[in-house]
Amino acid sequence: MRLWTASKFLLSKISYNCMNSICHAFKILYTLELCTHLCVIVEDGKVIASGRNRTNETQNATRHAEMEVIDTFLEQWREHRLSKSEVAEKFSKCKLYVTCEPCIMCAVALSFIGIKEVFYGCANDKFGGCGSVLSLHSTPKGEGFKCTGGIMATEAVSLFRSFYEQGNPNASKPHRPLAQQATQ
Amino acid sequence: MEETWQIVHIPDNPPFPPDQQPTVDAIASLIDPLFANTLVRRLNQIAPLENLRHVKRVHKKFVQGGKTQLSVILCLASQNGNQLDSIQNDVQELMNSYQLSPFITKVCKYAASSKEEWEEQCKLWPTSYHPPTYNIEGITGFSQEDSQSVFSFMKYAIQLAKSGDNLEVNAAVIVDPSVKQVIAKACDQTCSCYNPKNEITLETSCIEKLETSVCHGISGGALSRKEHSNGFPAKSEQLYTGVSCLCPWGWAEQESDMSLRYCHPLRHASIVAIESSAARDRLLFPSSGKTQDKSFEMDHMQSCSAASPAKRQKTNPTNIQVNGEDNLDLNGEGCTRSLSARPYLCTGFDMYLVWEPCIMCAMALVHQRIRRIFYAYPNPKAGALGSVHRLQGQRSLNHHYAVFRVFVGTDI
Repeated sequence: MRLWTASKFLLSKISYNCMNSICHAFKILYTLELCTHLCVIVEDGKVIASGRNRTNETQNATRHAEMEVIDTFLEQWREHRLSKSEVAEKFSKCKLYVTCEPCIMCAVALSFIGIKEVFYGCANDKFGGCGSVLSLHSTPKGEGFKCTGGIMATEAVSLFRSFYEQGNPNASKPHRPLAQQATQ
Repeated sequence: MEETWQIVHIPDNPPFPPDQQPTVDAIASLIDPLFANTLVRRLNQIAPLENLRHVKRVHKKFVQGGKTQLSVILCLASQNGNQLDSIQNDVQELMNSYQLSPFITKVCKYAASSKEEWEEQCKLWPTSYHPPTYNIEGITGFSQEDSQSVFSFMKYAIQLAKSGDNLEVNAAVIVDPSVKQVIAKACDQTCSCYNPKNEITLETSCIEKLETSVCHGISGGALSRKEHSNGFPAKSEQLYTGVSCLCPWGWAEQESDMSLRYCHPLRHASIVAIESSAARDRLLFPSSGKTQDKSFEMDHMQSCSAASPAKRQKTNPTNIQVNGEDNLDLNGEGCTRSLSARPYLCTGFDMYLVWEPCIMCAMALVHQRIRRIFYAYPNPKAGALGSVHRLQGQRSLNHHYAVFRVFVGTDI
């Protein structure tokens, strides 16, 4: 059910003429159960990279979907031996779609790399860097990106709710019981 | 000349005398206590006090005859023009239907950080005061021994950042203060060629003890000694374009050798150090959980499809074996570390940075649960811990660290 919602969210954002790329994105989605926080980067209407939150498995709390997708991206371009200015040029043509408003760290990271535009699902009241807590998507000097939120927000929220109900097995003092314990 | 070294706490809010705290204007109105609940509920929906969560919506005043008088904040006043004309439509409608007559009042902009401040704030308009729930060592001062330890680790970080006489990059050192041990260290890697040697030193850094770092600190050669009044080492500001946190947007313009093809605008020192400490965690505490098994498969899948050099390094099984055992033995704890001893991310650890971090790095350190941050030089263009932003004062975040600036002595 969750996967279906995730798929619907992504599909609604991506033009239909690039089914190969979408299939690739979904292959990644289907291999994972915890695929709530995910994002794709789109260039000329095509999905060219996707990422998902990998904080628990890496024990690195900075591995948000946005940071993952940027890394995938840079890796692809490194293989193509693009120069720095070509990389900057590429970023300036890309748009990012993400289920939840980028956090403060990711909002600034996206601004640093010079992405063109960001679309997100639900707002992030605790950490959001695109208006909820701080507004870092654009600076008075003109650095930053255009940002649109609240796209299919209800679907995104239910996606997160079902994820958080499972509890976090890695938290030192879990706020809620883990799902497995609860069913025992 | 050790006596010039100094540790200064950077508080959550800019320091102001209690009776001179910054205020903002708000539009308020007297209300009939009968409607208080309805009005407050409605106002919280249509005009929430976003960045003023410490400000109470309702002001209760006792007037003559034992009666109480209630006034409520309708919304914030606009900064310019006629403030009463700029009220948003739905608030205006509410005002009309309850026949409210608005007036301007001042409320304090920042949450009180002491009881004294709070008492002053309430003279203007009531606020709530939450004494800090965390008690981080050092905020009230450092013992002689603790100060020396902080200085040694800062010297160590500065040595890492030095190339020749200059501090051309930022350096980050994550330390476990309970055992005075370096957990991870890194320099900026926004533009560098891939160097496998570098990765290996990162992996083994957890065995380094304070003694080594002190040696490093003292054996270092001559370095730019003087500080300008702006707090920078004796060099003009423009020369530090290589420090990622100082010029985070400038990565594309920087000149570099064409052979240095590997470019990653986000690999600031803090980010690389966090990655390295996470890699260390995975080595020392191989997990058994279901999620984790899956994640290792995932790692493997990714490394097959040409992951970044760092990732490949981490998933190389022989490497893990050798490094992992070395670390455990040298720590004198054998292989008996249980999963329960595993720290949650960087809980309880300190971060030493040569330069004040940008907001991306500062937020990354919140996510990774660092306990204290020490930095030597401020970052006036993009600093997030006092210079441009003050992330440690964002109450909505789920973790808070204490921030200190270390004024370095003339012996560096």
